[in-house]
Amino acid sequence: MELISHDILIIGGGLAGLRAALEVKKAGKDVAILSKVHPLRSHSVAAQGGINAALGNAPAPVKDSRENHAFDTIKGSDYLADQDAVEILCREGIDRVIELEHWGTLFSRTEDGKIAQRPFGGAGFPRACYAADRTGHNLLHVLYEQVTGLRIPVYEEWYALSLVVDEGRCMGILGLHFFEGKIIPFHAKAVLLATGGYGRIYLRSTNAVINTGSGCYLAYRAGVPLEDMEFVQFHPTSLYGTNILITEAARGEGGYLINAKGGRFMERYAPNLLELGPRDIVARGIQTEIDQGYGFEGGYVYLDLRHLGKEKIMDRLPGIRQIAIDFAGIDPILEPIPVQPAQHYSMGGITTNLDGETSLPGLFAAGECACVSVHGANRLGGNSLLETLVFGSRAGRKAVQKVEKEKQSIDKGIFQKRWKEFQSDLKEVLEGKGEESCFLLRDEMKALMTSQVGIFRKESDLLTARERVEKLKERLKKVGIKQKDLAFNHELVKYLELEGMLHLAEVIVEGALARKESRGSHFRLDYPDRDDQHWLRHTLAFKTLDGPRLEYKKVTITNYPPEKRTY
Amino acid sequence: MKFKIQSSKFKVLTLRIKRFQREKDPPQWIETFQVEPKKGMNLLEGLLRIQDEQDGTLSFRYSCRGAVCGSCAMQVNGKLILACRTSVENLLGKPVFIEPLPYFPIIRDLIVDMSIFFDHYRKIEPYLHGKPVSSHLEYIMEEKERKEIDPYIQCILCGICFGSCPAFIRDPQFLGPAMLAKAYRFLADSRDYRFEEILGDVNDHKGVWGCNTVFRCVKVCPKEVPPTHAIVKMRGKILKYRLTSLFSRFLSLSHRIG
Repeated sequence: MELISHDILIIGGGLAGLRAALEVKKAGKDVAILSKVHPLRSHSVAAQGGINAALGNAPAPVKDSRENHAFDTIKGSDYLADQDAVEILCREGIDRVIELEHWGTLFSRTEDGKIAQRPFGGAGFPRACYAADRTGHNLLHVLYEQVTGLRIPVYEEWYALSLVVDEGRCMGILGLHFFEGKIIPFHAKAVLLATGGYGRIYLRSTNAVINTGSGCYLAYRAGVPLEDMEFVQFHPTSLYGTNILITEAARGEGGYLINAKGGRFMERYAPNLLELGPRDIVARGIQTEIDQGYGFEGGYVYLDLRHLGKEKIMDRLPGIRQIAIDFAGIDPILEPIPVQPAQHYSMGGITTNLDGETSLPGLFAAGECACVSVHGANRLGGNSLLETLVFGSRAGRKAVQKVEKEKQSIDKGIFQKRWKEFQSDLKEVLEGKGEESCFLLRDEMKALMTSQVGIFRKESDLLTARERVEKLKERLKKVGIKQKDLAFNHELVKYLELEGMLHLAEVIVEGALARKESRGSHFRLDYPDRDDQHWLRHTLAFKTLDGPRLEYKKVTITNYPPEKRTY
Repeated sequence: MKFKIQSSKFKVLTLRIKRFQREKDPPQWIETFQVEPKKGMNLLEGLLRIQDEQDGTLSFRYSCRGAVCGSCAMQVNGKLILACRTSVENLLGKPVFIEPLPYFPIIRDLIVDMSIFFDHYRKIEPYLHGKPVSSHLEYIMEEKERKEIDPYIQCILCGICFGSCPAFIRDPQFLGPAMLAKAYRFLADSRDYRFEEILGDVNDHKGVWGCNTVFRCVKVCPKEVPPTHAIVKMRGKILKYRLTSLFSRFLSLSHRIG
């Protein structure tokens, strides 16, 4: 049995993973990245509108500050974010953004040549630094360039199948070399999960096809709790038809939302900020219009940019113009864009402390798959890219410190044992009868989550969802895999990913059922108010044989006492 | 209405896919699949449906499905495209021939080995070699300069330009359109201290002088990156640099004679 060893192994090659890898490499440690796709194909590349940092570059009556950024983020989170984490995000974020500029990010510029900043939802200042509307693309390519320069090895097109845990400590992983069809164990003194979100649990999602939440499931299966998973962000504006993201920057630059009656409607939902309300409120606004019959046939409203003029659209929003042309045959200079809300982001994830450490020694997490928590019940636009950089680098730094103290000898026997166990589990899966088809179960799960566990929730829907997810889990056992060879076994990978997704769906449903209040993205029609007395607390879900066991954890409040949230 | 596919209900999508699976005998064959189109469907969705419903072994790369990640480059009826960006609306009726990206070794079906592509990427040292700057402040850059660089950083490294490049076909050591565009991106960036280094690296037939300037890369790029423009600009800079250094040598020589 071959065994690969690194000081620190990072799973996932998006922004959080690459930023963490750079931190580790610069500290002189041996680091490698393992990713199921080439790092440049990671979903970070699709981020559009911007990255927040209180640089104060945009003209405003008073200068922006990190305290303002923290306040907006905490209010945006509906007071569920841990405020110490948010303060770190807003403080260290400034340096991380400057650093990315120094590494070559081509940010758009102000008249005096500084990084330009634009207004974003739920923010009191123009704070989102941007590279036209391709901010994620720019940041990811720049980080990959740095990774290339430092010659950090990348295991491309490998899957992480499971964590290897021994005596309460993460020792490494089992990796699948997809092209060779070999399962090879990796030993690492620290493993960092940076695997992104699970958007593909939903039928309507802005996420890449690869976003299956596999890292969350790896941790959950190993006994690490998942936090606040019921908080699922629905982006207000995804392109009708394909649900490709149409950036919030379109509204930041002045775009209007228009219903089928031809009028702007956000005044009814966010009287002051209108289209630039936070995402949960704007998404609910759009969905309400559609549900009340003021949407267009098929369920969408218009995002109208025409009044911005050709020049501004070409300069600030060229990417979404291209997307609208390519995927809907519409030029936003001439016509409004049909949009509808779609799943976009997971506020919840693997519970970590402020340094990316999980409850399992040797295991770290950062980025969307983690929950620090800086986003609480609703993330503000422009904060997710920031989180990847700030907490990716912090997790990398902490992992280095831990590894330095570590004098671990490799016990090959453990890997041998886990390898054998996994092979025999796999044998069972490969010998399945094939009474069910993986893709049908997957499509059922997606439709179920979008219809029953979406923007508006209620007990009866959630109970239906609970029952049907349970059944889907049962039916999954009857799925057969025709191909027996492990090389290029798409069927097997899809099966394993679906297994994980069903468990995550179950956690989302249970958390949503239990939380009898409305907060941020979690809106219960049967409990429409926020209830701080009972629910100002984080949900923790632990895996048991009978499904998730829920516990709760205090929210850290520092300087921003919870208030009524109006915009 | 935009979202209706007129009369497509009666047509199916017929894909003739060039297959390659090393372990099979013969390893290469052409296979025909039929998919019932749905409204607004793109080619990547069609391929995913085949993989789900008809042949789980059909291999191809994908990720974002929004033409930003660069995974799904392939050849459709001889044209180089991103599958996700290609609507099936205009492909219905007649069989559509699908092949992998040309000139790269095939790994399996539509997946090609892009090692040489990323080897060339590494050759140009594609990371900013920054001039000294205060650690707490950004470099000052004018919008004019950003706009000069901007078209070249749109590149998603999908490999389509290599598949269309006669110079790369002739000589695989040719750095290729995407990489020369990237080299220019750093050359034009005032934050990067390199100038002679970059021009030196591209100043031969593996670099800017290998290009046929037939603009095929510009034409096929799904992100409207114009590599040939970068190449022509770098040629100009090299010639100008040669002239000025010749001129200054001449000046110092005549000075000494004088």
